[in-house]
Amino acid sequence: MTDSLLRIAALARHNAVLRRRDPGQFLSYLVMPMLLMSVLAPVFRRAAAGGSAQVVTGMLVIYSTLALSIVGTATLAERVWHTWDRLRVTRAGGAELLLGKTLPAYAVLLLQQAALLTYGAVVVGARPHGPAACGLLAVAVAVWSATLLAAGNALAAVVRSFGELGAACDIGALAFATLGGALVPTSMFPAWLRPAAPASPGYWALSMLQAAMRGDVHRTLVPAAVLLTAGLAASAFAVRRLTRPRGRTTLL
Amino acid sequence: MLHADGVTKRFGTAVALDGLSLDVAAGEIAGLVGHNGAGKSTFVDVVCGLLRPDAGTVRVGGRAPSAARADIGVALYPSATAAEHLALFGRLAGLRRHALAAAVAEVVDALLLTDFLDRRVGLLSGGQQRRVQAATALLHRPALLLLDEPTAGADPQTRESLLAALRRRAADGAAILYATHYLHELADLGATIAVARRGRIIARGTSAQLLVGLPSEVRLRAEGADEVRVRTTDPAGALTALLDRAPGTLREVDIRKPSLDDLYRSLAG
Repeated sequence: MTDSLLRIAALARHNAVLRRRDPGQFLSYLVMPMLLMSVLAPVFRRAAAGGSAQVVTGMLVIYSTLALSIVGTATLAERVWHTWDRLRVTRAGGAELLLGKTLPAYAVLLLQQAALLTYGAVVVGARPHGPAACGLLAVAVAVWSATLLAAGNALAAVVRSFGELGAACDIGALAFATLGGALVPTSMFPAWLRPAAPASPGYWALSMLQAAMRGDVHRTLVPAAVLLTAGLAASAFAVRRLTRPRGRTTLL
Repeated sequence: MLHADGVTKRFGTAVALDGLSLDVAAGEIAGLVGHNGAGKSTFVDVVCGLLRPDAGTVRVGGRAPSAARADIGVALYPSATAAEHLALFGRLAGLRRHALAAAVAEVVDALLLTDFLDRRVGLLSGGQQRRVQAATALLHRPALLLLDEPTAGADPQTRESLLAALRRRAADGAAILYATHYLHELADLGATIAVARRGRIIARGTSAQLLVGLPSEVRLRAEGADEVRVRTTDPAGALTALLDRAPGTLREVDIRKPSLDDLYRSLAG
């Protein structure tokens, strides 16, 4: 057990170093939503009650979903560089490799969302309703980050190039986030589109984050359960794809 | 140390390994040679656990092949330094603090890594990257070391430092399986040889054993005549006969003994 933890720690430390040396994507997905929140907040406030919460959680969902590419790039790079095979022939087991690989990426997602919520509270004025709401927001951020982490790894396990990964992340993130009501509230959707919204993980993430801001436990935990289920399915797929003994990685 | 018996691996209808059997003893360097597609890399993947065989058994030191460590081509993190690679793979191998520092110092010295230890490997030359790669495999003294064409594209200095390190590891008791196309390296290493063809080992032994019966080449050039080349298992007799028939003054005589290249050509076909 101790050996296993030490191996996970070694991998996590190594991956944290790699992540720190390539901060471009993270900074981009941190600064862009802050700018958009500031610009769009007056518009959303005029359009509907709770406009500040909508713009903050909406931008958070859009840009955290786009940050799938940070997770995906980290995992895909291991396949492109063939370092994944190199790691697989060490003593570290598949679960250790994935944990060591994904912990720093998870920390990046948590940091991004915490920073955006803080910015939203301080600059845009979307403040959580009391200390309980802060606790619920922490749970919501942890669940949404875990879901994104699983989805990013699953995606990286199937795409064959950085171009494919970028296209899948950009198109998928915008489509799912928009369908989930992150850009425009679902209440403003045409009637025929509204029933499709729950098909998007963005819908559940947005519901969860907005309920957490209000301090509504029940409406926070139900979407959290939905997202965790989806995350577990994606994780199982990624673990199976990345750890089964099928020879050296080949791409393209 | 390595015992492989009847290992079979298919990819769809293609048979990559067709009942391959091979034993490598502790302290032995075994060269695995064969054409591209002969099954060398697939066998290395099976032994290091990247592939599961369809049939047959593989044992390393009597157990499932977790004691094997493989160098399966250059696979490095471009933005990490050579030192960071050594620290990572050392820790993954279970080395800590003083043991890790001592092991790193040993491979840094053996493979001449000192000058670029703190540079990111993406900025290193191909030969330097090769040395870093080999260092990560040699770091913790595995009982069985698998090397798949470790000197492909390497400069002479890299090749020599790696071969010297391998000789030392074998002298210390490690079993080494060395898949390569460079047969002269096997001669330098004093390796035994296994020739693979279509997923099977078709010849196995020391180079001296395998070269028995292969023809030498006798070459003779006399003034005013074309050069004569004869391949024969009796070079002395052939040379005598050629000298008797030589029309003019003798200019050049050469007898080339069979080499591993000849063996490879004759067996791998």
